[in-house]
Amino acid sequence: MSLKRHPAQWPWHGLLVLILLGLAIGLWVATKRVNYEWRWERVPQYFAYRAEAPQDTPISGQVSAIAPEGRSHRLVITPEGSGPPVTVTVEQAQVAVGATVAENDTVGVNFEWRVGPLTQGLWVTIWISFVSGFVGLVIGLITGLCRISKNPALRGLAVLYIELIRGTPLLVQIFIFYFFIGTVLNLDRIVAGIGALALFVGAYTAEIIRAGIQSIPKGQSEAARSLGMSAAETMIHIVLPQAFKRVLPPLAGQFISLIKDSSLVSVIAITDLTKSGREIITASFATFEIWFTVAILYLLVTSVLSQLLFWLERRFARSD
Amino acid sequence: MIKVTHLIKIFEGRGQVVRAVDDVSTQVAKGEVVVIIGPSGSGKSTFLRCLNGLEEFNDGQVVIDGIDLTESKTNLNAVRREVGMVFQHFNLFPHKTVLENVTLAQRVVRKRKPAEAAERAMKLLTKVGIAEKAQEYPSRLSGGQQQRVAIARALAMDPKVMLFDEPTSALDPEMVGEVLDVMKQLAREGMTMAVVTHEMGFAREVADRVMFMDAGRILEDAPPAQFFTAPKEPRAQTFLKQVL
Ligand SMILES: Nc1ncnc2c1ncn2[C@@H]1O[C@H](COP(=O)(O)OP(=O)(O)O)[C@@H](O)[C@H]1O
Ligand SMILES: [Mg+2]
Repeated sequence: MSLKRHPAQWPWHGLLVLILLGLAIGLWVATKRVNYEWRWERVPQYFAYRAEAPQDTPISGQVSAIAPEGRSHRLVITPEGSGPPVTVTVEQAQVAVGATVAENDTVGVNFEWRVGPLTQGLWVTIWISFVSGFVGLVIGLITGLCRISKNPALRGLAVLYIELIRGTPLLVQIFIFYFFIGTVLNLDRIVAGIGALALFVGAYTAEIIRAGIQSIPKGQSEAARSLGMSAAETMIHIVLPQAFKRVLPPLAGQFISLIKDSSLVSVIAITDLTKSGREIITASFATFEIWFTVAILYLLVTSVLSQLLFWLERRFARSD
Repeated sequence: MIKVTHLIKIFEGRGQVVRAVDDVSTQVAKGEVVVIIGPSGSGKSTFLRCLNGLEEFNDGQVVIDGIDLTESKTNLNAVRREVGMVFQHFNLFPHKTVLENVTLAQRVVRKRKPAEAAERAMKLLTKVGIAEKAQEYPSRLSGGQQQRVAIARALAMDPKVMLFDEPTSALDPEMVGEVLDVMKQLAREGMTMAVVTHEMGFAREVADRVMFMDAGRILEDAPPAQFFTAPKEPRAQTFLKQVL
């Protein structure tokens, strides 16, 4: 007989389900109280929609026949004078047989898929985050190395930069970058936004990389130096590869934050996912639905990224 | 091969000053094996680390194979590749396989072709008896095996001098022998060696000279037969009584 029996787990699972259910009911009641009418059916069109493309007739004449062809229709237009008849294929005809048409009149429409503003915004968010994350990583690596350099000038500059960035809000940095630096250097708003984000992650990345480098035991670089490797060779072949493995989890956290923080560039009129959401709401009035959708899209991107980095971490763990 | 004159290394920190190496002068000839013994904290490691410039010293002169380490135009990296070092805690590169541990510096420093470096590495790994683990990562190896790889890694640079800093102190007793055997073979082949160790048997058998260090000074420097039977210094006598 064991002295201490494991307490049963199922009551707690039950409680979890109850709490989640309670939250859902609360949400439903709350929206009922403000008389909110959910219109989820309006959301999909903002991802992609079928646009109408009007089709014109190249000549004037009379529609002599409309023959179905698959899902389209073939309109045969016979010119008034002499000449061969012309065929126009449309998905939906807007004229009847016998109608008279003039040159360049619209006789029907075709439909084609277009990406909606949510998809475009999502794409902008992804590529802005990716580019500024990459530039930030480079900045962070250089700054992190300067931070532990023996040269007081390099070290001082690195400390100043890190402290400036970490001590001020990102929103303010974006404004300064856009209105001041952007104006002085005549930067495009996208460049200004990416620049501000890159400088922001760069400072945090620098601290992560510095800590990673310093966590590698001194014996490692001593062994490398004793073999005749230079300081740079030791850094490249011995210290950085080991440090990189250790900083991967905090770096991943930093980049996931970056994706969320990138929503702040919408204040300088970059149409990212957040700005797209705001624009759609003014047109659709589906406020709650759009914000929920935007949140889910961010969640989707961040969780894909964290899965990716988890996989990368496992690959690096081979030598443990 | 090694010439040290009036070497002084002082550590300053937290208000105290430690003269870790205090006016040491000595010489090691080509092919000679010198064993350095002494109580913990007597400056043995620091002395060894000054010999390949891993530790910057305050005063004095170290000349390795005719090259003065203190001269400003001396390229320390070039000197270090001629001086192999084996550490107490092996310090293998954990992110590289055994083979890569031995080939890396050959390729980076000696600029050897990958095939040439691998061939040299396999020859040395065979010599230290660990060729079958070439593709393993160091974490999969026992302490004794890791230390033998570390010796092979140092030898791969074709050094003129080998420095050993307590190479067997971190090992389980049953693994000490395998590492000492490799070192004995090296000594027989005529390698110039400076060995810090507490293995008195090794000192008796292999050493040409035994140096006794205490408080940063070399108090006694004699052939092993003389040192172990009739040490002159009282402090060396007490030390020998404790370890033998
Ligand atoms: N990096 C260091 N900073 C300050 N003091 C040190 C440092 N390394 C060694 N020492 C001091 O120098 C003395 C000699 O140390 P060490 O050479 O390691 O002795 P041993 O190897 O003989 O045990 C000791 O008193 C030790 O505390
Ligand atoms: Mg020591």
